[in-house]
Amino acid sequence: MNVLILGGVGMLGPYVARHLAPHHNLRITDVTPPADPLPGEFRLVDAGNREQVLAAAEGMDAIINLSVLRQDRKIAFDVNTLGCYHMMEAAVTHGIRRVINTGPHFTLAGRSYEAFDYDIGPDIPPQPGTNLYALSKSLGHQISRIYAEQHDIFVQMYLFYNFRDPADVPPGSRHAPFSISWENAAEVFSLGLEIPFEKLPSRCEVFNVFTDMPHGKFSNEKAKRILGFQPRNDIAGLWTKGTG
Amino acid sequence: MHILLTSAASPLSQSLVDQLAPAYSLRLTERQMMKSEHEFVLADLGHDASTNLLVRGMDAVIHVDTMPTETDTGAQIDQSSRCTYNLLMAAAGEGVKRVVYISTLELMAAYDGYLYDTRWRPQPTTAPSTLTKFLGESTCKEFAREGKVAVTVLRLAAEASPESIVGAIADALTDEQPVWQIVHVE
Repeated sequence: MNVLILGGVGMLGPYVARHLAPHHNLRITDVTPPADPLPGEFRLVDAGNREQVLAAAEGMDAIINLSVLRQDRKIAFDVNTLGCYHMMEAAVTHGIRRVINTGPHFTLAGRSYEAFDYDIGPDIPPQPGTNLYALSKSLGHQISRIYAEQHDIFVQMYLFYNFRDPADVPPGSRHAPFSISWENAAEVFSLGLEIPFEKLPSRCEVFNVFTDMPHGKFSNEKAKRILGFQPRNDIAGLWTKGTG
Repeated sequence: MHILLTSAASPLSQSLVDQLAPAYSLRLTERQMMKSEHEFVLADLGHDASTNLLVRGMDAVIHVDTMPTETDTGAQIDQSSRCTYNLLMAAAGEGVKRVVYISTLELMAAYDGYLYDTRWRPQPTTAPSTLTKFLGESTCKEFAREGKVAVTVLRLAAEASPESIVGAIADALTDEQPVWQIVHVE
């Protein structure tokens, strides 16, 4: 499968690229070149630039959007909101039916959920709040959803919160109750590229992607049930008492 | 009452000014210079102090959020999302009590033939006219949800008269309104 990765040079991108490379032809894009070589073709693309995104998507079978900007208001909306619009326009233009979007947990579950509730799943009405990162991503997600409803495009939205390195999980250190190792996170993308469309309940499905955790704050059940996501037991040291 | 009216050059804003003027002190704003007998402030609703100055001293903002139809869709999305965010963040910071967001009843077009009301889920399409207004509503809703500023969304029917719109605005500007409400103006 020919796969376009937007924002592929960021924190998660290299893990995803190396995981997918043996089985897919990758076109990795970002606003800066990778410091270390990545598999596949690389192009300089700003997700906030419609023409660049449309050109990068030509000939692709799927789009994975890892682009993100958290702080500057103009660029945050350009990347997180307009970037989704450009991605979906590219999908329509080139007949690309498989899109995997990504975002933080508070794309849907802002403080109005997280501060009060447990067992928070991915099928909830969005309440991002006014946090710039959360709201700009949430609007991008809404654009993706509307395009999926209007066109024959299947959008999977993967939500993440906290990425960890399994080699650095000091017991009791602060962590989000929605954590995953980088390598485990990368694995969900191959599942998303492979899942038959008929196994997705609708043309826009959201998944909480994190490892099995005892906290009960959020739920990853849907990712396991529908995508076949297999959480690794590689960061449990964060919340498990030592035996010594 | 001091009111800021955005998209002042738009046909809708122009149709409202004369009817609002007798009852309210108006400040108009637009991206390009325009002539007006009312106070006018040139503003692009960016993330800077000028947007705070724009809303300072206002009791309410009527955010018409309209660009010429020939405007690039990306620019329209930018205005309805980022610029609305900047405007409401400034309004909240400057103690503005109420925002009236002008939306469209096109968001309910999929319910043609039904007796729908404001409790029904809006159904935006990828057409800029509904997509942008849905993004604007969604942005405003989060400010209301957090109690930063009270918001009334007026979804206007295409055939709504200036008189009915002004009446709905007047109702929205009274003190008794909830922190978040949607009103359909037929």
